Amino acid sequence: MELVIALGMNGIVWGLIIALIALGLSIIFGLLDIINIAHGDFFMVGTVLAWAVFEGTGNYWLAFAIVPIIGFGLGALIEYAVIQPIKNAAALSIVATFGLSIILQESVRATYGAAPSRLTAPIETTIPLFGLEYEVYRLFAAFISVVAIVAFFIFLHRTKMGTWMRAVRYDPETATAMGIPARRVYQITFAIGFAMAALGGVVAGPITTVDFQAGVDVLPFCFMAVIIGGLGNLEGTVAAAVMLAFFEGVMASFADPTMARIGSLCLMSLVLLIRPHGIFSGATR
Amino acid sequence: MTAHQINKWGLVLFALFTLAAPFILPLFIDAFWVDIYSEMLIWSLLAASVNLLFGYVGLLSFGQALFFGMGMYGVAIGVAKLGLGFWPALGLGIVLSTAMSAFAGALAVRLTWHYFAIITVVFSLIFYFTALSWKPLTGGDDGLSFSMPPMLTWGEDGELSLTDPTVQYYFIITMVGLCYVLMGVILKSPLGWAFRTVRENAMRASLIGLNVYLIRLTAFIVAGFIAGMAGALFAFFGRYASASYMFYHVSGEAVVWAIIGGAGTLLGPVVGTSLLIMLREELSTLWEHYLLLVGVIVILVVVFAPKGIGGLWHGLINRIAKPAPDAVDVKDGEDRS
Repeated sequence: MELVIALGMNGIVWGLIIALIALGLSIIFGLLDIINIAHGDFFMVGTVLAWAVFEGTGNYWLAFAIVPIIGFGLGALIEYAVIQPIKNAAALSIVATFGLSIILQESVRATYGAAPSRLTAPIETTIPLFGLEYEVYRLFAAFISVVAIVAFFIFLHRTKMGTWMRAVRYDPETATAMGIPARRVYQITFAIGFAMAALGGVVAGPITTVDFQAGVDVLPFCFMAVIIGGLGNLEGTVAAAVMLAFFEGVMASFADPTMARIGSLCLMSLVLLIRPHGIFSGATR
Repeated sequence: MTAHQINKWGLVLFALFTLAAPFILPLFIDAFWVDIYSEMLIWSLLAASVNLLFGYVGLLSFGQALFFGMGMYGVAIGVAKLGLGFWPALGLGIVLSTAMSAFAGALAVRLTWHYFAIITVVFSLIFYFTALSWKPLTGGDDGLSFSMPPMLTWGEDGELSLTDPTVQYYFIITMVGLCYVLMGVILKSPLGWAFRTVRENAMRASLIGLNVYLIRLTAFIVAGFIAGMAGALFAFFGRYASASYMFYHVSGEAVVWAIIGGAGTLLGPVVGTSLLIMLREELSTLWEHYLLLVGVIVILVVVFAPKGIGGLWHGLINRIAKPAPDAVDVKDGEDRS
């Protein structure tokens, strides 16, 4: 029973981190119609940058501030260099971001190296929770993820840029006619998407390993959250990510992790076949 | 010459080169390029199966590695675990992959576009993880190797086997060639035009009485068969099968090859696959991080030639070639009837 609680808790924590990353994927997907194969690698770049900041300064906390900013800059740059020229063509975006994924993975392999390493958490204490000693850092990771997700929703609904993003998504032509700089909105959206994935990387760094292939495992999970939650339904993405990871965590306490993964994939295909527009499709619009 | 004639002669040249490759290639470059050439042709089939679905029916499959894997494991398990001969093992691989594509397709083609892409990834991941964990049967990550059974035996010790590199090369190009002929025939038939109709507008296709579901399913099964053939040939080629070839990255590479080569052209996938595999073979010896260059080239092609190399080629020959007679008629607005 303790194992179920522990793995279930880990599932929820991991789910919140995935939710943060998947939210970035979801806004890029929803607004730019870009199927971003490189999104997992954005996350991976986040973990590696966090590692670099820790190695450079010896202070992991700095990474929480610096890495999302670097991610934002990289995202804006990539949008300008790669995404703008293909003009939001979804099929081409797969190929272009595949190329991007190769470049990111290979540049990390060339600089950071191919061997995975582990980061020690900046908080190493544990507290008793539900009858087991739980790592405080994981609770902190969940907390940061929730704060970032809530901050993003506030940004989306309370600021001018957020309103522009929603307007461009709703009707790009009318939005442009009303004087909204759609190109800049696209660029900032993509940059925010990268920044969120990178922040996810910083948060998850001490929990997973720092590895140039780390994104490959995260990517399908994020896509699943986006699809199960319903395309363009941002709240749905968050809920689906947490549910999927919790389900997988609980499954993993009964069977081995691979079996748990197969279980969640089967669940996912059922959802797709029965409710292709996401499990929350009845609730919105 | 008209564009059509240029294409025809190009095809003849390509076929002649392929037939003569084991004799020509060693004259100029290292003989191992013959092997690489046959490997390219095998992988091009996987790209061709993506192209058949995406370029002609408008379904973007991200899970063709599943059927590749079925063909591969059909052969490897058939030989190594069931003790089958050459042809029964090949048959097992093809039957497995076709049956799997019929099953997966029956469910998947109910969905389109993003949803279709995702469900094909999900299906292939389910079987990837199954293959990974079912070690006694599949060997998991370590893979499953086997020794080559003879194709044909006669008399005391007369036998024809793929252990002879020449036999292997001609066996592979025959099988690959047959698959391309099959695709060519299908695409020229009314069924092939039904594919394109569904791609252009599924709603209109159903209004003129086409069964869109059945057409998509047929295309999916044909594509599964082609991918399965690629997998079976690859297993024979490497005498080896491994779960890693079923991962979604392999499907993704096939999509990239198909789009770089030019989706919606029969031979585009061959061009895209050959180009990228050649780059890999050439650059990997020169620079450890050659993948950086591959990534840049992929992005450049997509940005500057969104229709792929096949699209560039068509643009080029249409410019230099004499327009075809019927094209002139249309331009002059004459009534051809």
